Amino acid sequence: MLSFIIRSLIQKAITLFFISIISFFVIHLAPGEPSQINPMNPKFTPELIKRFRKQFHLDKPLYEQYLIFYRDLFSGRLRSWKDGRPVLEKIWERFLNSLPLFIVGTLLTWTLSFPVGIHSAIRRGSIFDKTATFFSYLFISIPGFFFAYVLIIFVVNTFHVPVIGMKTFGLYSGKMHMLMDRIWHMLIPSILSATGGIAILSRYVRSQMLEVETQDYIRTARAKGLPEDEVHYKHALRNALLPFVTMFGLVIPGLIGGSVIIESIFSWPGIGRMAYEAILSRDYPVVITLNFISAVLVLIGTFISDLLYMIVDPRVRL
Amino acid sequence: MNRGFWSALKEDKLAMLGLYIFIVFFIVSILGLILTSGRNPIFDPSMIRLSEKLKPPFSHANRDILRPDQIPPFGIYIFGTDDLGRDVFSRMLQGAWVSLTVGFVSVGISVAIGILVGGIAGYFGQEYIRIYHLLSVVSISLSSLFFFKKVWHLSILFLFLLFFLIYLRKRSKILNVGLFTIDTLITGIIDIMLCFPSFFLILTIVAFIPGSLYSIMAVIGLTSWMGTARFVRAEFLSLRERDFVLAAKALGVSDFRIILRHMLPNAMAPVLVSAILGIASAILTEAGLSFLGLGVPPPHATWGKILSDGKQYLFDAPWLTFIPGIAILIVVLSFNLFGEGLRDALNPRLRR
Repeated sequence: MLSFIIRSLIQKAITLFFISIISFFVIHLAPGEPSQINPMNPKFTPELIKRFRKQFHLDKPLYEQYLIFYRDLFSGRLRSWKDGRPVLEKIWERFLNSLPLFIVGTLLTWTLSFPVGIHSAIRRGSIFDKTATFFSYLFISIPGFFFAYVLIIFVVNTFHVPVIGMKTFGLYSGKMHMLMDRIWHMLIPSILSATGGIAILSRYVRSQMLEVETQDYIRTARAKGLPEDEVHYKHALRNALLPFVTMFGLVIPGLIGGSVIIESIFSWPGIGRMAYEAILSRDYPVVITLNFISAVLVLIGTFISDLLYMIVDPRVRL
Repeated sequence: MNRGFWSALKEDKLAMLGLYIFIVFFIVSILGLILTSGRNPIFDPSMIRLSEKLKPPFSHANRDILRPDQIPPFGIYIFGTDDLGRDVFSRMLQGAWVSLTVGFVSVGISVAIGILVGGIAGYFGQEYIRIYHLLSVVSISLSSLFFFKKVWHLSILFLFLLFFLIYLRKRSKILNVGLFTIDTLITGIIDIMLCFPSFFLILTIVAFIPGSLYSIMAVIGLTSWMGTARFVRAEFLSLRERDFVLAAKALGVSDFRIILRHMLPNAMAPVLVSAILGIASAILTEAGLSFLGLGVPPPHATWGKILSDGKQYLFDAPWLTFIPGIAILIVVLSFNLFGEGLRDALNPRLRR
């Protein structure tokens, strides 16, 4: 166990090094730099550009910029080029805004997809299975931004509540009212971020369940006369659930990745929207940091899932 | 691909439906390319008629105001018009070709890279990367670096070093010390690539390079080959132990021919399935990029862009949102249905 952890930590450290290189160079090697973002602007005099380049170390060779960047990042001195605020502080602030969406979305995903998947596997070919299959295909294929607008039209026309943003601007009434306002605003974005997950995860649960149901030990369990429920929920389900333990670790990266479009539509001041704004304004430090952090989160996630798998499944222990 | 496979596929009605929709989509987008391009296209997607703004679907063109060349075919706007009075039907036709090419070309790129990388890892994976490999790569890159910086003497020096290495490699033991296997290298690269959240990475790259249809295809292709590479590697690892490969080797068939003629056809099934599902996700990615305003540059219409332009008129002109949205949904759905049906048909254990 310990040797596995040490080995995987060394491996992850090497990966981390390359991730830091890629997330830095993918942006710096692209043509154009922030000093040239608007060459027609008369305010951008050559002296100003020179000062700008010097201030942000753009006049130094790339490897030196790389070292400066990660030195600043790890010492917390890295500042956004747009407003001069520390990048980590900015990201943390937006992260706190994204967190409720993420938590509600993940809870919805995990609580709904397992019952649906298990049920449609057990009753394979039934009407429930067919409906669930149809809807999961529908939700996998529907573009998130289109679905968002369908939901907006539906909610606004039937319930007459505002849905864009985190809360209604300038609303000062009772605590209860403001809470309801918050919940209404959170409803659609979190449903949206959950639907895709539910569709994919429930299909996966279903296929995993079907795979296990064909195994010999299930036939043995049936042959020795166990009741159907016990066969399904005790013998099959436990083994079918194993791969999903590992997926707990992979939930973490979703914090940053998948929310760009949804947060832009709903003007939700979260991480995805900040990433989009930073990309548009060529705010290199924020973009690189976000890419780097999300890759690191994936690394942490895979590490956790490896550990969980070893704890749960004794067969994996080497 | 045997008989059982075809009959299993034919029994799966949803998969066949997906296949039929895909064929229709293919024909429509080729027709769309023909009908909307050229100097005087039959359906002109960029004809602006400011007097005919936001007309609902199936409304008739106003023949009294418009010049004859401004009137759409048959005199009706089948899908209505947008905020500049452009015919949405023509724009949808033009966008169909974009979706089709983005889907196919980017998946083509990713499958090609995936097969190459996965095939190398699976077939030659046990070979070691030795010290002289590393040194030669370093000297080649330094030589070309100095060549481009016009430091000629250093460039020639490293070139000589390269020849020296090639000469020495048979004679020196130290140069032949194995560092790590090719397989370790390639799985490492795949792991690193998988760490980046794909949509965010694509968004970053697309925003920073000059936007065009080709760069989007290239970026989507270059960031999505890892799944295929893993499949091919796994298949090759099991196939290379099989007897027919051993027989081919014993007959003196070259490695290249074994890979192309004997192993690749056997490994194609999962690749095909993942390619078809990949087309669906590539179309969705492109639509998302266009929606965020980072896709194909303006005069060209894409489905994501039509939807993005129409979102300001969500309540006044809902067809601008619904028509492209439903079109994307149907096309992506058809690819997903066909791909999943193909997967089930190719997996004999799931057949009943």
